[in-house]
Amino acid sequence: MRGPGPADLALLVPELILVGVVLALMLVARRIRRGPVAASITVVAAFVAAIASVQALSGGATSGFAGMLLVDGYSQFFKLLIAATLVLATLLSAGCRKDDGVPRGDYHVLLLLAATGMMIAASSTDLMPLYLALELMTICSYVLVGIRVERPRSNEAAIKYFLLGSFASALMLFGISLTYGLTGTTSYAGIASALYSRGLVSPALIAVAVGMVVAGLAFKIAAVPFHSWAPDAYQGASAPVAGFLAAGSKAAGLAALGRVAMIAFGTETAVLTAVLVGLAALSMLVGSILSLSQTDMKRLLAYSSIAHAGYAVLGLIAGTSAGASATMTYAFFYVFMTLGAFGVVIALGERGTTLDGFEGLASQRPLASAVMLLFLLSLTGIPPTAGFVAKFVVITSAVQAGQVILALVAVGCSVVTAFVYMRVAVRMYMSNTVAPPPAPFPLAVTAALTLAALITLVGGVLPAGVMSWAISP
Amino acid sequence: MNEYIGIVAIFVLAGGLAGIMVWLGSVLGKKNPTEVKLAPFECGQEPFSLPIGKLAVKFYLTAILFILFDVELVFLYPWAVLYRRLGLLGLIEMGIFLGILMVGYVYARDNGALDWK
Repeated sequence: MRGPGPADLALLVPELILVGVVLALMLVARRIRRGPVAASITVVAAFVAAIASVQALSGGATSGFAGMLLVDGYSQFFKLLIAATLVLATLLSAGCRKDDGVPRGDYHVLLLLAATGMMIAASSTDLMPLYLALELMTICSYVLVGIRVERPRSNEAAIKYFLLGSFASALMLFGISLTYGLTGTTSYAGIASALYSRGLVSPALIAVAVGMVVAGLAFKIAAVPFHSWAPDAYQGASAPVAGFLAAGSKAAGLAALGRVAMIAFGTETAVLTAVLVGLAALSMLVGSILSLSQTDMKRLLAYSSIAHAGYAVLGLIAGTSAGASATMTYAFFYVFMTLGAFGVVIALGERGTTLDGFEGLASQRPLASAVMLLFLLSLTGIPPTAGFVAKFVVITSAVQAGQVILALVAVGCSVVTAFVYMRVAVRMYMSNTVAPPPAPFPLAVTAALTLAALITLVGGVLPAGVMSWAISP
Repeated sequence: MNEYIGIVAIFVLAGGLAGIMVWLGSVLGKKNPTEVKLAPFECGQEPFSLPIGKLAVKFYLTAILFILFDVELVFLYPWAVLYRRLGLLGLIEMGIFLGILMVGYVYARDNGALDWK
């Protein structure tokens, strides 16, 4: 068999750029004293990778590495989204970590490597590279969660995340091996054609295989019942890492889930519908209801991200390309609004970690409060924000798939989460505080918040740009 | 099936003979137990301890370095066997591979993995 040639490597240029920067950063990791150096290198690397991923598609969709990787509009969409996540998370990190003993070089190396894994996951068309890519992403995430080694809570979060994550990975690997045993291949297209023309294969085993692979991916997007790591991991991690996980891990997981559900298991509609409907309904219900009682902002946003995972999955239930586009649109807007909300939490420093810290913020920091209100409205799904467009398209897709009850659940959960988000808004605008006003925001954090707010607002008013760009696989 | 009967017979005979030896030894042998004789034998180490002791982290770094060079060797062997057939491209590929591994080595050295304290 012929090994990969230059044409194959050309598909990986965005990832190779990130890996090259990782290697360079590792060599100088101990010699970097000032944080901004590593952060600037990371931001530049993300931009170059984004440009490279736009360039890579100029010759049309191409497949390489014996059909294991595919560069098409779908993978480009998610690669750009992941690059944006990386940029925002890096900018936000600049505002958070002063003297918490985190080695700057190592931190950015892990961010870059995790983003590399996410990008490869988005362009995988075979279960093996998908598994490798997701492992690269998750192993870096474990370390990122526990990187503040001095804090017991951070260590505990990393251990919990690691144990649950390894279990989920093992589950997915078992699903992959079952799929391979049933179909004789791990490529998405091969699995689809084998399932389509099957003669003797037992439907029960196929259902188990589909369920296990989807369960492994559901862990990455923190969908119920594979969500229990998210609140603890987000709370124990530093806020930028939590934001990076909430946005990036979810985007990569949805990218993988979209391809697996649409292509590999596209013929198994009955099983897929049952599994995805269960995931969506449970995630929305559990995420919304449990976020009601949270007083820690990172936990609140964690449960909110669980609920959003449920909404994002709604689009995939239909199994149509319009539905997958709806999920892509949702993932796109979700990344910016959730990173924006995490950004305000980061910018407020120690005060932002609890719900009570937001009391009376509007009188002290009117602009920051307005931006936070924008993100909260968007997370709730109120027009004219991007969150409304995102929810509108996925719920429409669920209705078109005939899941009217599920759509009603989705709308009902929106109302519940509105209460959660408005609790923060009420504290900002309708109460007084004696707490000293927060320190001025660092420039990098202001830049990240501006970018996120801009996309949340413009995406809500003019969503057509993103929606026409979200081409399903 | 018949060709396996001999193997089964060997298993039965060997197991039976060993069992009879042990049984005879315990029945016929003299018994004069002391505390030391009754203790489980484990190479002079304390056989049981509670898992609350500390483990030196430097062993973990040693293990990481071992894996680094072990993986390197695993790939160097097949490359050495097929060196002539792989030609220049193989040399370049191995160079890239070793370069990446060396980055890991430099990183470990920078972090004091080789300072044995």
